[in-house]
Amino acid sequence: MSTKTLNPLRISADIWHNRYLLGQLIKRDVLLRYRGAMFGILWIFLSPLLMLTIFAFIFGQVFQTRWPQQNNSLPFWLLLYSGLITFNIFAEAVSRAPTSVRGYPSFVKKIIFPVHILPLVPLGAGLVHAAFNFLLLLAALTWVGGLHLQILLFPLLLLPVLLLALGFSWFMAAWGVFIKDMTQIVPMFVQMLMFVSPVFYPVSAVPTALRPLYQYNPLGTVIEATRAVVSGQPIEWSAWLIALVCCLVVSILGHAFFQHSREEFADAL
Amino acid sequence: MHSDVAISVKNLTKTYRIFGHPGDRIKQFFSLGLRQYHREFTALKDVSLEIRKGETVGIIGRNGAGKSTLLQAICGIIKPTSGMVQVKGRISALLELGAGFNPEFTGRENIYFQGAIMGLSRKQMNERLADIMDFAGIAEFIDQPVRTFSSGMFVRLAFSVAVHIEPDILIVDEALGVGDAEFQERSISRMKAMQRDGATIIFVSHSIPSIRNFCRRAVWLEQGEMLQSGGAGDVCLAYQEAIDTRLGNETRYQLSRTQSGKVHPSGVERTISIIDTKIDKTRVPVGTSLTFHINLHFSNAYSPDTEFGLGLIIRDDGGKLVAVFNTVRDDLALTGSIQHVRLTVPSSGFIPGRYWVSVNVCDQNALFPYDEVDRCLYFEVPNELSRQGIPRWEGEVACEHAWHW
Repeated sequence: MSTKTLNPLRISADIWHNRYLLGQLIKRDVLLRYRGAMFGILWIFLSPLLMLTIFAFIFGQVFQTRWPQQNNSLPFWLLLYSGLITFNIFAEAVSRAPTSVRGYPSFVKKIIFPVHILPLVPLGAGLVHAAFNFLLLLAALTWVGGLHLQILLFPLLLLPVLLLALGFSWFMAAWGVFIKDMTQIVPMFVQMLMFVSPVFYPVSAVPTALRPLYQYNPLGTVIEATRAVVSGQPIEWSAWLIALVCCLVVSILGHAFFQHSREEFADAL
Repeated sequence: MHSDVAISVKNLTKTYRIFGHPGDRIKQFFSLGLRQYHREFTALKDVSLEIRKGETVGIIGRNGAGKSTLLQAICGIIKPTSGMVQVKGRISALLELGAGFNPEFTGRENIYFQGAIMGLSRKQMNERLADIMDFAGIAEFIDQPVRTFSSGMFVRLAFSVAVHIEPDILIVDEALGVGDAEFQERSISRMKAMQRDGATIIFVSHSIPSIRNFCRRAVWLEQGEMLQSGGAGDVCLAYQEAIDTRLGNETRYQLSRTQSGKVHPSGVERTISIIDTKIDKTRVPVGTSLTFHINLHFSNAYSPDTEFGLGLIIRDDGGKLVAVFNTVRDDLALTGSIQHVRLTVPSSGFIPGRYWVSVNVCDQNALFPYDEVDRCLYFEVPNELSRQGIPRWEGEVACEHAWHW
């Protein structure tokens, strides 16, 4: 059952093999969050809409914030929102990863189950939410008249973030089984990461001395790239490719670590 | 591994590391084996077992004997500390009631989800849905959240899903205990049908009769070790005897405590006291004779023309009154210093089980006891098996009988 491999193709094949089960798990995860609520599944659309409205009001009307060194026509809140979509995929996946296996002890101990797909569930749920966020972004762009054809690249550009989130999820899920404190620590660090990553500001606004540091944050690279397609700016493909490779390595290592420690899960839970 | 072997377990040992504190696990990890932060507990010791395709094997043993650990190892849920487990074919396991079910989702959603876990697509589950609901008998509740189900409905649903996905190997751990008799019967016949279709079945139960009736082979685990493996009848018999011996020891211990003396707790010597009781044998097959011996002692206060009565009360395992033998009830008057009294039952009709005997000596009207000894004798009636392995005696009485045709 446990496949110990470093070959990304075999890892993908294994996940593909379990795609139906994974789909069901993600569906359960998303539905369960809204089940019983009066507006039900409508919240999946309502909550980002509310957030975007408040952004537009606070940053557009109250603060009248302008994007640093702005040379495009898009309002601050839209650029912030597009960065946030990217970041939130990572945030949702990794923050919830420590409980993704720990929360299902019966899957680990009582039934025969491909446990290694459990950490993918929060990521999948994050992607579902991101899809709705993206639709909202398209609507908002149309409304302010800033829609470019280039926006179609947005989903593709997310690839490194997905891989990074995948790798971290596997790591955090395995650690979460052994150390309960991870459920507290990880969301806190993710929160801090949001401010360290160029979500609220472009890298170009960072003091020159610190700027090299930002090259080592693949999350930042992708956020910058996705923001570029939203505002119709050119994309730095070389940086993006480097990020892709780094993230691929992280995901493979995460998978290896997870599969290595999975043998002890049943004993620890 | 031979082509007709479904499950092969070789020298399987499973040792759990027990950490006193969650942080100790981390310390252990970083100490690289230089220091020990844990105790060890061996759940399975060097167990080897081979199960052929189509075989039905029962596993018996007391709580904590390692039965569940063995099943978990076979399912691949836990990793053996040493040894090897090889399995051929798709396993469907009912290790714990409702594991893998989500209480918030409806029965229907859970059925599809269980299918997904077992690798069946929605389409394949659609074909089976009607059968599953039908077998579980919960069609009208199928769209209710599972948390509203009674435990009986729950076990029926779980079992129904497990058997309808047509596994090569079915593992059932004590799960059927919750269902009612009618469902247990249906599930047994369903499993028998699977047996005929060549499925391999592993069946864990505390119930010796169900193991004996349903399995051809049985394995007896005791404290992580395999004590015996062989024909289900033999293993069950040995297991039953071990239980009886253990209970018998407990009874003897009890005797020495309850045996009264010649002197009443108040300090006055008893007029008549029971000084010894004996039974001619402790294994009494149905229809054989049974003799009790009672020795009495008479104090000086006893006047030899006083009538008295002597009685035996027989109770079963559960303390239920089974038989009373009393001289007063039999219209016999005992007088004089009779030191030895014998009671014979020429052809006993006790149903198989374990029995405890209390003896008392009382006045002529059976109003007050001179002396009584509670549970001083013990005997058991063994069951006999038909050639097909069905117990011969069941019910309330076992009497001599004859068939004529």
